[in-house]
Amino acid sequence: MISPKANTIIETPDRTADKSYSVPKQQRQRPRRLHYFKNQLVAYGLMFPSMAVFVMFFYIPAFYLLYISFFHWGILSSATNFVGLANFRTLLQQPLFFHSLVTSVYYTLVMIPATVLLSLGVALLLREAVTGRKRGSGIWRGAVFLPHVTPIVATSIIWVWIFNPQFGLANFVLTHLGLPALGWLESATWALPAVMIDSLWHSLGLYVIIFLGGLSMVPRELIEVARLDGAKKYQIFRRIIWPLISPTTFFVVVLSTINSWQAFSQIFAMTGGPHGGAGGPAFSTTTDAVLVFQTAFVYYHFSLAAAMSLVLFCIIMVLTLIQKWISDRVVFYR
Amino acid sequence: MASIVMKNIEKKYSKKDSTIAVENVSLSINEGEFIVLLGPSGCGKTTILRMLAGLEELTSGEIWFGDQLMNHEPPEARSVGMVFQSYALYPHMTVFDNLAFGLKARGMSKPLIKQSVHEMVELLGLSSVINHRPKELSGGQRQRVALGRALVRDPAVFLMDEPLSNLDANLREQMRLELARIHKRVKVTTVYVTHDQNEALTLADRVVVMEGGRVRQVGTPEEIYGSPANTFIAGFVGSPGMNLWTLEWKLVGDSILMGEGAIELPRSFLPVLESAGSKVTVGIRPEYLGLSLVHADVKVKCKVELLENLGSHSQLHAHLINETPVSLIARLEPNTYVDPDEEIVLTTSTGAVHLFDAVTGERIDLLGEDYIENENRFTLS
Repeated sequence: MISPKANTIIETPDRTADKSYSVPKQQRQRPRRLHYFKNQLVAYGLMFPSMAVFVMFFYIPAFYLLYISFFHWGILSSATNFVGLANFRTLLQQPLFFHSLVTSVYYTLVMIPATVLLSLGVALLLREAVTGRKRGSGIWRGAVFLPHVTPIVATSIIWVWIFNPQFGLANFVLTHLGLPALGWLESATWALPAVMIDSLWHSLGLYVIIFLGGLSMVPRELIEVARLDGAKKYQIFRRIIWPLISPTTFFVVVLSTINSWQAFSQIFAMTGGPHGGAGGPAFSTTTDAVLVFQTAFVYYHFSLAAAMSLVLFCIIMVLTLIQKWISDRVVFYR
Repeated sequence: MASIVMKNIEKKYSKKDSTIAVENVSLSINEGEFIVLLGPSGCGKTTILRMLAGLEELTSGEIWFGDQLMNHEPPEARSVGMVFQSYALYPHMTVFDNLAFGLKARGMSKPLIKQSVHEMVELLGLSSVINHRPKELSGGQRQRVALGRALVRDPAVFLMDEPLSNLDANLREQMRLELARIHKRVKVTTVYVTHDQNEALTLADRVVVMEGGRVRQVGTPEEIYGSPANTFIAGFVGSPGMNLWTLEWKLVGDSILMGEGAIELPRSFLPVLESAGSKVTVGIRPEYLGLSLVHADVKVKCKVELLENLGSHSQLHAHLINETPVSLIARLEPNTYVDPDEEIVLTTSTGAVHLFDAVTGERIDLLGEDYIENENRFTLS
């Protein structure tokens, strides 16, 4: 508004109409900051319960484990002595530790390809059933996933009966096929393969679901166009499906590597853990995880077990980093 | 190159569901012909294309490529090249590998693959991006790669499923021209699916208009546009579609008045109208209506609602007088001026008038060469 007398601009009361007017910075920021803090408070409030559980049962024990690995620590005694790297030195002098490392490597090296091949194969079959509108594909999917939701200790006990050398189903099938019966869990050679079969069967459902998810991301049109291009089924799998699901395969490989290195419950349940003899016969199923448990809770050498866990953690981390390095060169991300 | 014959083909997706995706379609496509299947979404045109490719099984009927029955041949045995709406390029392969994949799968030697791919890349102007992956390409380049991949195998039949629908308007026009140019050069039998009438009318040797799983009309673009077989095609083809009015008629003196005098036709229409019944659907394309007094045999009285100036022409929205809800669109000369609510008389020649059965919507084929001068037929009034 222009004053007729002074010919000067008089400040209009309607501040919004004047574009040159701006709210002072402090005033403008106050409500925005308040809103921000409110949002933060709500977010942390919602996260708190799960974070509390996670911190209490994961981070604190993990850091405490790191701490006690450098001490001579007893669960019943309050006296703790700092021993530096003595636990790690002791560990490296234990032949059983290296034996358990070899067993873990053997277990992992068999489990990874077996898991990938079997679960991908089943996932492809299930996908074929779904796309081919075959009846009962939902039931098959449920049947494959069911073992995974059953506690592994329970399924392992069933497999103990299946692998019973005298009247188990496994030997019954083998002899009917004209093959020699095996000692299974009583044999130092076959005990670990028996555990592997149980583990594969139990975890199959999870990996099949992951692969089904990966396969569903491969556009149907790509398969169709490849067929029109004249590609055979194996060519379509090798040249189209396999590269496109490589992120899923990588994820399954990492997950099964971690799970294999940490395998414990099934070995414990199948090789006489409840009776104090897990890891047998003749240490043939004593993986790192089993040895850690026995060192801590059978021999009560917690510091040594903590050092062992740390080594196990480092091995898994290094393996994962190697896999990541390989995946960056091999895996195709769209 | 092969001719295609479809004999009474039908497709039902489910035995329980009575819906028929494609119903009793018979069509012959000559060698080297460019056929466009045109219709709204869900009319069954893509299903026909997929059945030709072998990606869908027929419920009944026969498909022949040349003298070979294709019903039970798998897609890989059909020598068909197909371009999908989404292009369906292999995302993990370079342009070269995308084009070479089909040749490798068919066991062609490496030097020959290299030569074929390079020739195709040259033809499509993709040489500079031959080592790029699809995500590094523009929409138009992806489209060309998809075309090249289908053509490099020298297919007997070339199928395209709305290949331009993902492109922006300018690029679509460019690619349309390019498609026409490529077809002229390779002369492969082509079936092209679209719901875009511009693509259909500009590219096709013949257009097949479909609705509800059925073929409604087969003809050259001129026939489809100039003599639509029914009111659906009349309204669907053309932008905007044909004005269609279903009205009663009566003879008053030397004129035929329809809709209480809103439309005035010359007496020459009388024999046709008498055979059609008391009610008939009249159709006039918007571009044939004008304010001129030349060729003013047909008069349409209307009340102006809105005049849009679109640069190249003005588009008039109006409604027939005495028939308030019955609307009308006319494409007038640029810079025409009429007032809103003004009552005006639009005129056209008798040749621009189409008649359809009021009940069935089918064309009344009458425009009687004997009483309407052909030369008037498509001249702007």
